[in-house]
Amino acid sequence: MAETKGFFTDTTLCIGCKACEVACKQWNQLPDDGFLFTGMSYDNTVHLGASTWRHVAFIERPVPLTPQHDGAFSWLFSSDVCKHCARAGCLESCPTGAIVRTEYGSVYVQPDVCNGCGYCIVSCPFGVINRREEDGQAWKCTLCYDRLREDMIPACAKACPTESIQFGNLEDLREHAKERVRKLHESGAHNAYLYGATAEDQPGTEGLNAFFLLMDKPEVYNLPPDPCVPTKKVKDSWLAAGATAAAMALVAVGAVLFGGRERV
Amino acid sequence: MSGTAVRYKDSVQPVRTDSRDIDRRVAVLTGEAADQQASGTAGEHAQKQAEVWRNLPQPEANDPTYYDRPLLNEPVWKWAIPTYDYIGGLTGAALVLGAAAQIGDTASRERLIRRCHRIGFAGVVVSAALLVEDLGKPSRVLNMLRVFRPTSVMNMGAWILMGSSVLAFGAFVLRPRKGRLRRVGQFCGYAAGVFGAALATYTGVLTGNTAVPLWQASRKILPILFGVSAMSSVGTLFELTVESAEERRLTKLFGTVGQTAELAAEIVMERQAAVVPRVARPLHRGLGGFLWRSAMLLTGTGLLLGLTPRHTRNRRIVSGLLGTLGSVLMRFTVEHVGTVSARDARASFHQQRAGYGAAEVTGRTAAVL
Repeated sequence: MAETKGFFTDTTLCIGCKACEVACKQWNQLPDDGFLFTGMSYDNTVHLGASTWRHVAFIERPVPLTPQHDGAFSWLFSSDVCKHCARAGCLESCPTGAIVRTEYGSVYVQPDVCNGCGYCIVSCPFGVINRREEDGQAWKCTLCYDRLREDMIPACAKACPTESIQFGNLEDLREHAKERVRKLHESGAHNAYLYGATAEDQPGTEGLNAFFLLMDKPEVYNLPPDPCVPTKKVKDSWLAAGATAAAMALVAVGAVLFGGRERV
Repeated sequence: MSGTAVRYKDSVQPVRTDSRDIDRRVAVLTGEAADQQASGTAGEHAQKQAEVWRNLPQPEANDPTYYDRPLLNEPVWKWAIPTYDYIGGLTGAALVLGAAAQIGDTASRERLIRRCHRIGFAGVVVSAALLVEDLGKPSRVLNMLRVFRPTSVMNMGAWILMGSSVLAFGAFVLRPRKGRLRRVGQFCGYAAGVFGAALATYTGVLTGNTAVPLWQASRKILPILFGVSAMSSVGTLFELTVESAEERRLTKLFGTVGQTAELAAEIVMERQAAVVPRVARPLHRGLGGFLWRSAMLLTGTGLLLGLTPRHTRNRRIVSGLLGTLGSVLMRFTVEHVGTVSARDARASFHQQRAGYGAAEVTGRTAAVL
């Protein structure tokens, strides 16, 4: 097994050029999502989905942000992607085994196995994976599995002109990211922090193989503040189901033994 | 902000072979997404896209969202899934009742047992058909059984339905026979009861085991609600169809306990969800709120009418109908409010900020800012 690979997306370096989105579309031969004008900043991609595996968020908020000095305004970009969680909701909920963990530690949907049940979609706390209506299958970022097999780095990281998207061994990326945060803090950007870099940072997913450096609350980037893989809590539900099943059996037996008699 | 979508119709000149703008006469598809089916012309699929900004988002410094866009992708399940939740529940509870009725001297209950097994057998067939109907790739339905995967509630459900099917079939076909075959049928009937209890409740586990905030908040009550609603479904169905007084007394007791618990579970679910007000919103507002109230009203009225002392045939049928409608509507409403909940990013954000994200498991919240 190769070392665990991942992305470190440093949003302070992102210039919102969307080269990652284009590179992803082109390399993976993804269909377009239509040509729409949302009226929402410069973002007409809106969200990750079945055929959108990179999405650059354009954040314009009339709220002051350190260290931006343009008055009461924050301007942020962030290239979002599948997080390839250490505990992946989609993978754990997949009933067919179509979603697997690869030798690179990434989470991969095998297109020839997926039967389009849709359970992974509601199991992802980030809203990444989705089903494509035209072919009825679930799709998401593959961490460019085909490129990794040929010793190439993923298309988005390759195309990124500012090294906002960095690809590498997860351990190295974490080290590098910590260093970057330290430097940013030194230079006055005290609000820089890592999102999902380790299991301690994000216990609900036990860490993201694709983690982020953010400058504002996760919600600002449309990221959940304390996400949790649903299966971490499923024991409660099974216990409730077991108790209900037992109660149902008891009532049934009781009804059979006593319910049939004519009332006096 | 104007609300109409502007498509850059002629600003580019796509090769109109598919939505990739790849001319298949000169290029091959070998990429990771090569299997994605393109959707015909460029115009057709453009219309299916996410909604364009209709309401100007209201930026709030302390309660931010990304332009009020959803965080999650919403469930893709259509009418077949809530229908399955109802039919599967009815089937499961009927198998439980059938198994219980096999206990002891069955002479006076043979018809009831037979009915339960008939509902069980017909139910599993319809259930399987409904599940196939909802799959994106129905031809691959058997992939559900290529693994045994306890982490996946849906995989467990597939095995539960599979087991219920075989056993319900065995009980239905073999129990009316004589000698050894009857004994095998009898065993199938008991085993089908065990699987039936699982079939009636696992759908609640499945629905709760999701990132959808309202379903996640209801994950402990949903298996209970679905299970007792299944009992109620059997009771109300027998109210409508059974003439024998003894059978009806028996099934009515089973159903009335279920129906009372159903109403109670609905009240509990609403209260639990309201711990984080934003999460409970779909139960209080709009179509979801109306449907939720209606389901409770139907179940409650059916229950009251069924409990009135002078139980004429007409009253029985009305009460059975109301109860059945209430149970069916509840399944559809749970599905609907989940979809509404998935569209509301603030429901997820508030829920997690209030300590109902990973903090519920780890005891501490990890959010930095």
